[in-house]
Amino acid sequence: MRQTFITAVVSSITAAAVATGATAQMTAVGEGEGALSIVAWAGYIERGETDKSFDWVTKFEEATGCMVSVKTANTSDEMVALMNEGGFDLVTASGDASLRMIAGKRVQPINIDLIPSWNTVDDRLKEAPWHYVDGTHYGTPYMWGPNVLMYNTEAFAEAPTSWSVVFEETTLSDGQSNKGRVQAYDGPIHIADAANYLMFHKPELGIKDPYELTPDQYAAALDLLRGQRELVSRYWHDAFIQIDDFKNEGMAASGSWPFQVNLLKADNVPVASVIPEEGATGWADTTMLHVDSEHPNCAYKWMEHQLSSNLQSDLSVWFGAVPSVPAACTDGRGMQNQEGCDANGLAQFDKIKFWKTPVANCESQGECVPYYRWVSDYIGVIGGR
Amino acid sequence: MSMAQTSDSFSQTRSEGIGTRLSDTLWRRPGLLLILLLLPPVLWLGIIYLGSLFALLLQSFFSIDHFTGLVNYEFTLKTYAELFTPANFDIILRTVTMAAICTLASAVIAFPIAYYAARYARGRWRAVFYLGIMMPLWSSYLVKIYAWKLILAKEGILTWALEGLHLNWLLDAYLSLPVVGGNSLSVSPTGTFIVFVYVWMPFMILPIQAALERVPPSMLEASGDLGARPAQTFRHVLFPLALPGIVAGSIFTFSLTLGDYIIPQIIGTSRLFIGQAVYQHQGIAGNIPLAAAFAVVPIVIMGFYLWGAKRMGAFNAL
Amino acid sequence: MSAVSFANVSRHFGAVKAVDGVSLAIAEGEFFAMLGPSGSGKTTCLRLIAGFERPTSGDIRIFGESVADLPPYKRHVNTVFQDYALFPHLNVIDNVAYGLMIAGQGRKQRHAAAEEALEMVRLGGYGTRKPSELSGGQRQRVALARALVNKPRVLLLDEPLGALDLKLREQMQEELKGLQRQLGITFVFVTHDQGEALSMADRVAVFNDGKIIQVGGPEDIYFRPEVPFVADFVGSSNVLPEALVARLTGERCPAAIRPERLRLASDGPLKARVTGLSFLGLTTRVSFEAEGTRLTALLPQDAPRPVEGETVGLTWAADDLHLMRAGA
Repeated sequence: MRQTFITAVVSSITAAAVATGATAQMTAVGEGEGALSIVAWAGYIERGETDKSFDWVTKFEEATGCMVSVKTANTSDEMVALMNEGGFDLVTASGDASLRMIAGKRVQPINIDLIPSWNTVDDRLKEAPWHYVDGTHYGTPYMWGPNVLMYNTEAFAEAPTSWSVVFEETTLSDGQSNKGRVQAYDGPIHIADAANYLMFHKPELGIKDPYELTPDQYAAALDLLRGQRELVSRYWHDAFIQIDDFKNEGMAASGSWPFQVNLLKADNVPVASVIPEEGATGWADTTMLHVDSEHPNCAYKWMEHQLSSNLQSDLSVWFGAVPSVPAACTDGRGMQNQEGCDANGLAQFDKIKFWKTPVANCESQGECVPYYRWVSDYIGVIGGR
Repeated sequence: MSMAQTSDSFSQTRSEGIGTRLSDTLWRRPGLLLILLLLPPVLWLGIIYLGSLFALLLQSFFSIDHFTGLVNYEFTLKTYAELFTPANFDIILRTVTMAAICTLASAVIAFPIAYYAARYARGRWRAVFYLGIMMPLWSSYLVKIYAWKLILAKEGILTWALEGLHLNWLLDAYLSLPVVGGNSLSVSPTGTFIVFVYVWMPFMILPIQAALERVPPSMLEASGDLGARPAQTFRHVLFPLALPGIVAGSIFTFSLTLGDYIIPQIIGTSRLFIGQAVYQHQGIAGNIPLAAAFAVVPIVIMGFYLWGAKRMGAFNAL
Repeated sequence: MSAVSFANVSRHFGAVKAVDGVSLAIAEGEFFAMLGPSGSGKTTCLRLIAGFERPTSGDIRIFGESVADLPPYKRHVNTVFQDYALFPHLNVIDNVAYGLMIAGQGRKQRHAAAEEALEMVRLGGYGTRKPSELSGGQRQRVALARALVNKPRVLLLDEPLGALDLKLREQMQEELKGLQRQLGITFVFVTHDQGEALSMADRVAVFNDGKIIQVGGPEDIYFRPEVPFVADFVGSSNVLPEALVARLTGERCPAAIRPERLRLASDGPLKARVTGLSFLGLTTRVSFEAEGTRLTALLPQDAPRPVEGETVGLTWAADDLHLMRAGA
């Protein structure tokens, strides 16, 4: 089944890009090649230039002689495109991009025996389906995080227990309706949040996976979202715009990331976050090695570095994410502590449905609504259709 | 000077090196010079610009395979038909309506400003005026939009100012109106409209001003002299003569509104505009044919717009 | 009743007194020229009549009606502008019919009237052209037709011939004068060209520094300038300074004498040195210098000619020495 899933995702570009000896994995890590280039999300590879205290590159360069250069990508598609172009060693890929690159043979298998700290990785991530395919490892877990429910503590006397506050009109504890005071993510993937909500409240629909929806289940999710349109004054797209809206637009609740919650709290805005009873969607990123990497030794050294150094701890503070190495929360190698990890969602792992691309040929139901329709239909929903 | 000497100095100039000979050749054949000067920009325009436009057009005649999500490289009009599905047609209507209203409002607001600048501003005031008009163009487009977000927010500067004047009931009444209203100005279509008008204003003022400056004052005096009241002078003389400027300005405001995808994303109801639809279909969904078809819409609309403007005689006074 | 009258009218722009206490009366049916160098206030006076400017003080009347508070569009005067000010977006017939359209005439009626006006200025059949397709002289006539078609009681012309070449200008002068006689309309004509003013106008007002220096018929202005400025500006008369006049006649005032009235005579009262000669066809112009004053004489072809550098005697008939007021 996994194999058919992959075949469906393969894009036309990858067909031309099939490399020959791609499957051979490294057997030993030698001397560093002196350089390392990484495709990463903004804020993922910090060398103390934005904020002096957040630096997990300088020491790596000093220790290994591998000088790190970063190419920032803004979307998963951009990451896939850059890796298809080639010339990079590593990429911090999210769940949708990672499988596309494995299927397109743009990344090579990882020999986990060459990464001494591999055993410190969260057991639940070691063989996660977005990088572990057919018994082969294709990357090292980097960071993960939930899409939490952020709420204004002045509007909610008690923490909300259900996503219903952003899906259905209700009177909040400050006596006013939630209409016009909630936000939703401005991306088609938000349909999965609606499906996740229905999975809990309408078991008769038989939703098994919020990313794998039959036409009927999909229609029900869209109906829920059409109701939500009446409540939402603005869909959020940019984390900083959402932060601004919670400050200046009197927002009461929205799906969000720990990143925004932490920044707002730091600004003394009365907000808090929760993962409600229905659970939540989330994202998990993996460091993957390009099939034609010119600096594989440096790349392996980096993958060890990302697990063993202050990176996991400090990055989880910086980005509001959860380390893939649980010990990073408590062993004091960086700024993170248990409270911080809990706030970012560590204990909620089981409640999280990690993001993946919806495909027509799906695992749980056989025939699902593919992503391109999610895109056009979600545009329609926001447009009031 | 004897004849022999003359022919001597003549042959000397001829043997004066390649630069001189080249100049001579170009002087004798001005057509060659023209070709040399025009070739690089024509190649640039022809290959880079028209080439990419053509590639875009081509893409729009392909379709996306709804099962695999792959582009199907066969000629079809299916993708264009998709533009007329209710959700997509909404986007087009919404964008064109906004562009039209913004253009109209820009023209109405820009005209008196441009008129003042062309007729009355002199010396230092003229410099101040140009600075005032151009300055918004120097600061980052994003900074301006974020600034407007702060002004229009529910707890923003405007609300604060209206509260001070005890006029917030007026804003609330306006925001409760259907279609134009919303939870706050920054999430209402009115907010999008205000920011569009603000951001494109210089593009409307400057062409109108240029057109008005070409109208001699005696033209307006002549109209008054022949019995026309100021309103009649405006209608029969000033407006027709300013029309090329207004049309030039409206081409800017109209097409910029049609193509913009940042303002409606930050200010407004989150309902998509054409620019955003192109961006999302191309960037997120990988549906390049539909994105291309969307991108063709403003081109077609602008084509009709210019055709209509020409028929209205907008270019007669050029 | 005067067609146009000014009573002590001033128009100041800040510290600049463009028009400074002007009083005048233009009779009905008169061809009146305002003559002066640029900046002398003549054009401002015309604009005051048209209503494009408002007087700072004083009263202006058109056919007895005070027009101080009347905007241009309520005055029964029309103007031919220096740059013609034809509307470039309208064709010739619509330009000419503009005033009638504003007055509310129907299309057919006003086009007929406009065509008639065009025929009057000998441009019949040019109606469908754009102003940009016409020559300077043709535009000038369209501007004239556009003003006349409204049958104004006063027609104002602001240097209307200034942009035309000499031959065309002379032809237009004839035509304008003919039109004025034929229509009987009061013409107020502004020019800086004294020849134009003298050949066309019934009366001429000479302007300088915002004031009227002298008003009179062309012959008065030409032969009997009241002050040296007029003598100098209008007719290039020889102006003899007060001291010289006092010595020659005993009168204590400046005087003017036309160049064609000076004759050579060895016993003439004024000794002058010849500084230059130029041949003009019918006459020869001779320049002299006498007691620090430059003089010019026009000698008939048959008169004996002096040689450059020679000192000769100059004489004139007593009548021809025209005594003037000092000043201006």
